[in-house]
Amino acid sequence: MMKYSNYFILLVLLSVGILFKDYIHLSTNLLSLFASKDAVEKLKIADNLGYSKELLIAVKGFDKESKSKVLKISKELESIDNILSIQSTIVPSYEIQQYYKKNYSVLATFNDANQTSKEIKESMKRLYDAQFTNIFYTSIDKNDPLKLFNLQNKINNTNNSKFIILDDYGYLIRVSTDVSASQMDKAKVLYKDIHFILDNYDNIVSFAPFYYTVENSLEIQKDVQWIIILSTIILLVIYYLLIKNLKLLLHTLIALSSSMIFAILVSTLLFENFNVLSLAFGMSISAVSIDYLLHYYFHNFYQNNVKVDKNVLYGYITTTVAFGIFTFIPIPLLSQISFFAVVSLSFSYILFTFVFPRLSIDKYVESDNIVQKSRKIVPSYIIFILSIILFIYSSLNITLDNNIKHLDYQNKNLQKLQLLFTKNNNTQLTPIIVQASSKDKLIENLHLLDKTLPSTFSFASFIPTKTECLLNQEKLKEYDFDRLKSIINEEAVSIGFRKDYFEDSYDFAKNTPSCDTDNFKLFESYGLKIFQDKEVFYTMAFVSDVNAIKEFSFISDINIKKVFSKLANNMYKDLLFYSVIVVVMVFILLFISVKEKILYAVNYILFPISLTLAILVSFTAINLMHLFSLIILIAIGIDYGIYMSNTSKLTNTILAIKYSILSTFAAFGVLVFSSIVALNSIGIVISLGVTAIYILIKVMK
Amino acid sequence: MIKIITILFIYINVIFAHSFNFTELRYSYAIDRSIQLDGQINFLKNGLSISYHDSAKSLRYENNTLIYKENNETIDLDAMQYQKIKGYFDILILLYKDDKKAYDGIFDIEIKDDKTILKPLGDIKEYISHIEMFKEKTKLKQIKLFLKNRDNITIIINDEI
Repeated sequence: MMKYSNYFILLVLLSVGILFKDYIHLSTNLLSLFASKDAVEKLKIADNLGYSKELLIAVKGFDKESKSKVLKISKELESIDNILSIQSTIVPSYEIQQYYKKNYSVLATFNDANQTSKEIKESMKRLYDAQFTNIFYTSIDKNDPLKLFNLQNKINNTNNSKFIILDDYGYLIRVSTDVSASQMDKAKVLYKDIHFILDNYDNIVSFAPFYYTVENSLEIQKDVQWIIILSTIILLVIYYLLIKNLKLLLHTLIALSSSMIFAILVSTLLFENFNVLSLAFGMSISAVSIDYLLHYYFHNFYQNNVKVDKNVLYGYITTTVAFGIFTFIPIPLLSQISFFAVVSLSFSYILFTFVFPRLSIDKYVESDNIVQKSRKIVPSYIIFILSIILFIYSSLNITLDNNIKHLDYQNKNLQKLQLLFTKNNNTQLTPIIVQASSKDKLIENLHLLDKTLPSTFSFASFIPTKTECLLNQEKLKEYDFDRLKSIINEEAVSIGFRKDYFEDSYDFAKNTPSCDTDNFKLFESYGLKIFQDKEVFYTMAFVSDVNAIKEFSFISDINIKKVFSKLANNMYKDLLFYSVIVVVMVFILLFISVKEKILYAVNYILFPISLTLAILVSFTAINLMHLFSLIILIAIGIDYGIYMSNTSKLTNTILAIKYSILSTFAAFGVLVFSSIVALNSIGIVISLGVTAIYILIKVMK
Repeated sequence: MIKIITILFIYINVIFAHSFNFTELRYSYAIDRSIQLDGQINFLKNGLSISYHDSAKSLRYENNTLIYKENNETIDLDAMQYQKIKGYFDILILLYKDDKKAYDGIFDIEIKDDKTILKPLGDIKEYISHIEMFKEKTKLKQIKLFLKNRDNITIIINDEI
């Protein structure tokens, strides 16, 4: 009966899992793992304001065919859900034109200087003469023949043609969508819909931030699939061909699954926002517990009727204490991984130690051929000194990569496309968030920015401040337009204009529009929106130089790269601080377990880490994943150090470690073949680390 | 808003050649008079150029860039005017090439004997009521532009240079 206990435990855990499945909440918001609460909040606001939801399509060439393509594509795109607006020309939309028409008198600058009869006559005469002398046909504006109103419009005030242009590449279509890069399902649908249309045209390129989500996830999926296959093959080789014990493999896999399910249940029930990435990492670290099993198996612990193997116990305690300390680190990703590791390793320790002896696992039969005699020639103090030298070398040459984007799959094609679009003048402005306690105050703030940086693009480009609007209204009310019109009409006839041609002149200025604007929705096609959160109003402004306006307290920079590099720097500091504590604790615990062999045992941690670090700093900048993986190396090193120091049967311990190294390689090392930088970094560190451990086994005496 | 508006359909030529002499008749409703101008238009590979016989001013629109010159000196155009002229030149080139497919979405076409009537769609219908083109065999001889403000402009193609 007891020999089925392993299955039984898995079954119970699975049932509990199913029972509590509604309480298991996994967060997929990767931002919350890295970014501070404040930064996450800002990015959320930016998301609500439509930041990074723009799709850009460029049509190569400036010929007639390209223009016709622009029009056709724009029309076809209209049928897609999730597309909010399409802009291919700089001609304002009908609604915006109506807005200008309706509000023209307060939007335009009004020259309210008193016009004498003589001045009016002269102006009208010039207008008349121009009809005969102008080389270009110029229509007469009968509403404002004296040109007293002047409207500077940022949209029209550009030297582009009617169509938006992407430098010397071709025409540009700007599409605003409601899909951000973090919405995988929506992104996939929109990506498919857009490509269904665009694939029918030649010489078209398009880019949107969510393209990365779709294309990268596809690549990552392919990558992970192949790594899982490779990993499974290696595990099968170890267990079936080398250890020749399929039953052991089956039980090991069941035990690992049980530990992981147990850890998932505990972690997700205790943590409010346990992240899916922490889960993935935590599960990988759980695989380290195979060490315990292999040590037991090769020392025939399951047949010896001994309750506890001291070495494995010390290994387990030291590893747990190390991860236990990391549980307190203020980096959510690392503290979650560490917590998961502690729970999962503890559970598998219990299974391997107390349940496995009852599973009737076959005894390990020693074979002399397997273990070759090694020549141990290097004393441990030499390795220790070498490790210190390697550490010093590393600290002198280390460069930290604080660009978290570098960890992602490097989609060269998309990066090239993104560059094509971002180097364009129209897209070179940097978005910032502007906030205020009311909409009117928000517009005032935007006008302040506009004054400091006239190239700023925001609502201020279209909407005057309330004060300015009221002032204009006042000017208009005070001006005697009836007198002006009467003189104009009188003079016009005497000059030669058709009678009554100017009978409606300046009537538009008598009916002043309201200054309580609520026309913000009109400008959504330009990427401008207002978002209200509680009592605060937010909008975006696009500026040419963030530094020039940084003294304004109402702006926030949403440059993700900057936000993350600042965060990454803080993370490195925290990581260093906690690593020092962990190393000190590990030293103390190792000393308790191995006593005078401390130097020998500690080398199993120091040498792999120092060698790996030294090689890494010689070729590349160190990223967060490298550092996380070095922590995994500590976990592995602790166990091997203790086993090797306190071994009663060296050949068997070495064999256990060799298989354990192979298992570790199967779990992490295969990641070296991944094209995703984050995974590849883990793979490199673990592969280098286990190689270093292998060297130690062979040469350290 | 409707300030300078328009300008230039003046320069319409059309015909399947590159350089033409033309006569332009502008009727201004405001003064109820017509003005006649004579000039020359050249259709380039990627644009066009226009000059008038009695003026030292000329316009050249090529590769999406517009240059306005007087006595060979470049004169700056205000942004609005620059944009309008470019927009209208685009239409002019479109008419010159007379590619029916390219009219799609810009004009509705109605053909009556030797007369083709183009009714604008989209933004330009704010300024232009309709355009009439007269052909002799396949060669376009005359274009009449009827503007919303009741002005009209007639371009008569005289000869190919």
